[in-house]
Amino acid sequence: MGIPGEAYQALQSIVGSDWVSDDPAVCEADHLCASGGYPKDAIRPACSIEPASGEEVQAIVKLANRYRLPYVATSTYYLGETSPRKENTILIDLKRMNKLEIDEDNLYAIVEPGVCFSALQAELFKMGLCTFVPGCGGHASVLANTLFTGDAPTGWRHGLGYRRILAAEWVLPDGEMLMLGSRSLSKDFFWGEGPGPDLRGLLRGISGRKSELGVITKLGVKVFPFISEKLEPEGRAFHTHLNLPTNRFKWYNVRFPAKENAINTILELGRCEICLVVMTVPPLFRTVARTRGAGCGGFWEGWAQLGEKINPKQLELRILLFGIGAEKRLAYEEKVLLEIVEENEGSAREAPARDETNFMAADAICACVVGGRFHSQLSYESIDQDVKFGDIVIEMTNKHKPPILEEYGTTNWLCPYDLGYITKAECLRMTDVEHVDELNLWSLDCQEAFLKQGAYTNFPDDEVFGAVWGNYHEKERRIKEAFDPNNVSHPK
Amino acid sequence: MLEVEEYKHQAETCVRCSYCKFIDLNWITSSRFVRQCPIDTRYRFNLYSAHGLLHSALAELEGTLEFTPKLMDALWKCTLCGGCDIRCKRNLDVEVLQVIETLRRRCVEQGKGPMPEHKVLADNIRNSHNKYGAPAGERLGWMRKEIKPVQKADLVYFVGCASSYQQPELALATAELLKKAGTEFMVLDDEWCCGHELFATGQLELAREVADHNIKAIENLGAQTVITSDAECYKTLKVDYPKILEKSTEDMPYTILHITEYIDQLMKDGKFEFKKSVPMKVTYHDPCNLARLSEPWFHWEPHYEPPNIAVGKVWRRGDKGIYDPPRDILKGIPGIELVEMERAKDNAWCCGAGGGVGLAFPDFALWTAGERIEEAETTGAEAIVSCCPQCKAILSRVTEAKKTGMKVYDITEVMLRAT
Repeated sequence: MGIPGEAYQALQSIVGSDWVSDDPAVCEADHLCASGGYPKDAIRPACSIEPASGEEVQAIVKLANRYRLPYVATSTYYLGETSPRKENTILIDLKRMNKLEIDEDNLYAIVEPGVCFSALQAELFKMGLCTFVPGCGGHASVLANTLFTGDAPTGWRHGLGYRRILAAEWVLPDGEMLMLGSRSLSKDFFWGEGPGPDLRGLLRGISGRKSELGVITKLGVKVFPFISEKLEPEGRAFHTHLNLPTNRFKWYNVRFPAKENAINTILELGRCEICLVVMTVPPLFRTVARTRGAGCGGFWEGWAQLGEKINPKQLELRILLFGIGAEKRLAYEEKVLLEIVEENEGSAREAPARDETNFMAADAICACVVGGRFHSQLSYESIDQDVKFGDIVIEMTNKHKPPILEEYGTTNWLCPYDLGYITKAECLRMTDVEHVDELNLWSLDCQEAFLKQGAYTNFPDDEVFGAVWGNYHEKERRIKEAFDPNNVSHPK
Repeated sequence: MLEVEEYKHQAETCVRCSYCKFIDLNWITSSRFVRQCPIDTRYRFNLYSAHGLLHSALAELEGTLEFTPKLMDALWKCTLCGGCDIRCKRNLDVEVLQVIETLRRRCVEQGKGPMPEHKVLADNIRNSHNKYGAPAGERLGWMRKEIKPVQKADLVYFVGCASSYQQPELALATAELLKKAGTEFMVLDDEWCCGHELFATGQLELAREVADHNIKAIENLGAQTVITSDAECYKTLKVDYPKILEKSTEDMPYTILHITEYIDQLMKDGKFEFKKSVPMKVTYHDPCNLARLSEPWFHWEPHYEPPNIAVGKVWRRGDKGIYDPPRDILKGIPGIELVEMERAKDNAWCCGAGGGVGLAFPDFALWTAGERIEEAETTGAEAIVSCCPQCKAILSRVTEAKKTGMKVYDITEVMLRAT
């Protein structure tokens, strides 16, 4: 049916005719987000529009309210639930909004939705600072990912991104602009709390991240001290990495005879407040790393070889030591690490001082080499709970493999954050294009099992999980109704 | 052109991660020079990207999308630089560029494409055997009497249209270099346009005709090696000719070398030396057709074993292009100080002229070239050096229009100055 002609003309007058299009090909290309499990109810937007500023976003949202047109905002377009699901949706593509400012004295950056992690990281490195870079890739939107969860392996030390949202400019579902934190008092973004109620919880909420509560057009994010030495890139095409200065960094791979030993080590490392990265490495990622450039065929050869020697009872940790502040810090961290490893019967071996995962995340999506489709069950819990969660996923995977890639009975990918205070457990399961339905069934089975165990997952079916978790979905619905009376912000 | 099943398979394996829009993330050193894809950078709609075009390819195949004005715009403004292709292949097995090329071909087969300017080019080649429509008999007009190709040699110099007709100084420089290297060479009496833009614009019947003609002409001369200083001709003879014949590069009746490969090898063998100083701070622009796109072609009949294993396929991931020889040459010239741009080697930003874009969308091509010159200027270099007449021409147009003061050279010119 399309949106009314005068509405479309109004959109053109907001952004200029070059930056809005209802061409079927433009809309078709914006029909689906990334990731393998495409939402089944996704449809083409009626048009796509590319604003250049928060003011333009406001004008678009107000117009959408006037004409009762649904809208949804995207940037990298990674998240599964942001594909349009209603007729006549305006897809607001925020990629043109890519302004970036850095306050190096006060350690924060102000980002618009189009700024990606790698761009921010590159600028921060020049200043001896750094940010986290999530596993989905350094090309993801800083703003969107920080609101979503903001997790990355360096979260061991930096914590979860969405717990340190600073000030924000927020175009509410009805088009009013709300300033959060210090931004409400001045042009500063340095502080997330401000007068009045703290509404940041709404941004992190599940409906917030699905673009159901308007559009964040600017966000203050914390950045961290780093080192002045350069991380030199090396390599070409599929063989690139960053060389880590060996006077500041050291990688260790540590194998433990049992999961409990590894978990005790993690907790002890947290108590000692050392390391920059501590995580397990699932067989999938290990194989991909080893068969880099060999493609799908090479992956399967490596997978078979790994399967012959893997012991699901064992757990291997990958640990990055970091001499921040002083080189002698590195020696101190190493001494402490090796003592803890010995106490827990681990076997540590040093690994090459290079990286393609944690500082720019250039190897994101590499796991899709298997066939191109994946799904993920995520949990942010205590580490003990995450291990139980992993056992659930293994059980469900056994029901659906093949075609779903198994993990040789090993546990999930454990990424502890905040020095072990909270752990992300991610269970990526892969398959090929023909078997996406099986992935979706696996996901539903996992969620049903989680529900019975009271475990948390990051992609819940609200109606199912709400009842278990304090009826959050009802509260979210009321909030949504209050903020979005015309129900146009990515309505269900 | 991919067969339908393979075309569909490749297009639907795209995960839509958007990695195709960026240079290798490890090599990002500033927020300014982050992006790889000219159409994405300029137009920003997701359609204007590899994943947008792959998604469109699927939809067109399924009959849910036609060649709309925007699809035509995105498809034909793609310079086929290959940045998206090798970026995707860093992590995945997807033949991104081949899907885009096939989508162009489908557009042509349906009578919707190519652009009018591409049809004029085809007419020129058909009638005059060169892309400009200039008299065929003047193709060897660049020669001077001191250039003496021989009647019989192991090597034939394939000049290319640009050097023959528009930039004869490059042909002269190449010939002079070969002479100084003590290399005898032949030239084709009846060299036709290599057909690069015909391949790029899906006009494959005529492309096949010129390929057949040129291959036969090379065979008739009995030459084992073909040398060229035109990156487009290089890639066409190395990759597109075997591709259209359903052969591999190694099966062709000749070996193709770029002049930089040849001179570099002579240097490393101690048989050639640059003796004169050329005091200049330069930056090097990697032509897409010499760098990312020039890996040998391997013919493969699609055959998969589950899950998704392409049995016997040799993947071309962009690491084996000609990146080092031009750099080693420049470093071997006394006085030259070589500084790299942020987006260099396999991350190089396209000059904008390729894929037929320079012909059909000159404004966009100039914008793309302008981005490259801006990047070159950040290095502090006095000059930008490349290995392709097309790159040189369009980059020069920008520097002249903007009066930047930056010089634009082909590497043959710099090499000649140093001999």
